Amino acid sequence: MLLTSVIIVLREVLEASLIIGVLLALSNRLQSGRHWPKWSIGIGLVGAAVYAASTATVSDWLDGVGQEVINAFMQIMIFCCLALITLIFSKSDKQSLANSRLIVVLMIVSVSLSIIREGSEILIYLSSFISDRDMLQSILLGGLVGAGIGTSVGALIYYILLNINRTWLPYASISVVILIGAGMAGQASLLLIQADWLPSQAPLWDSSGLIAEDSIIGQLLYALIGYEATPTPIQATAYFGGLLLPLALILITRQATSTDA
Amino acid sequence: MHKRKILLLWILFALPATAKPPVFEIEIRNHLFEPSELIVPANTKIKLIVYNRDKTPEEFESYELNREKVIMGTRKAVVFIGPLKPGNYPFFGEFNPKTAQGTIVAR
Repeated sequence: MLLTSVIIVLREVLEASLIIGVLLALSNRLQSGRHWPKWSIGIGLVGAAVYAASTATVSDWLDGVGQEVINAFMQIMIFCCLALITLIFSKSDKQSLANSRLIVVLMIVSVSLSIIREGSEILIYLSSFISDRDMLQSILLGGLVGAGIGTSVGALIYYILLNINRTWLPYASISVVILIGAGMAGQASLLLIQADWLPSQAPLWDSSGLIAEDSIIGQLLYALIGYEATPTPIQATAYFGGLLLPLALILITRQATSTDA
Repeated sequence: MHKRKILLLWILFALPATAKPPVFEIEIRNHLFEPSELIVPANTKIKLIVYNRDKTPEEFESYELNREKVIMGTRKAVVFIGPLKPGNYPFFGEFNPKTAQGTIVAR
């Protein structure tokens, strides 16, 4: 049970922790907005508790697929926020970035939503052991270990990004943010397929023999770049669309500003 | 303009007209899936309803099926699956992975 709880909590913490790590590295260049992580975590935790408490109700919505649709909506929101963040970062100069309130709001929204989604699952999991005192102790211990590892991976990404050559930092951070965002778009499409809101199709390929989704590398790649061993054409389209859309927007606005000047 | 209207009407009528997928049911009792082996038609989309008869929550999960869904205690969950190629597709309860295991067999 200990190992199970390590894995469950780690999986859930990893994604939020990666987003926080990368956005922290990005915002390290901003002088303003040092408080956004506190706000995001606070809002995220309260939201996670509320969402966990209402999961039974939400599940029954929309003929039993409310959970999928709400989660997909949250992931699409995270994707949009991350895409806007990369866009603002790539086109703004240092001065206007430092004063940008919008970017702080976008960071708070994306991180809180990610904590709400992942945190609620952890809370639901933990809640099943609340009446079982003996079990609860080892579950909580495992959960702490999982949370510790997950947080460390986020911290690792943060320090790696900060130690990159200063001229490369924005490019590296923006690339990682775009990759995480594309993963969100892919996951959202999978949830809508599961809800039967998008058509189900045969998978495009099966790379589970190469990298299994339940392996450590598979899990890490899932959190980092939204790895799927058996994606359907719709999922792949959502993923690569999620990858190309922010890139295209960045290029278009670049071109527009360079012709202005 | 006219073409667009026709397209819209077509979509409106086509949506409910698509055949409803066959429904299959499994239960969770004492952290076990019943039945633990479910035979479903291959190459057909199915609607799986998982009833959680336990008081504690469970997460229906399968890497092979690409599905994952939390089911609260004493509640049920709807998961659409497939169309699947013939074969075995293991699933498990993520919160109790040692006991809660099962397989969907597509034939």
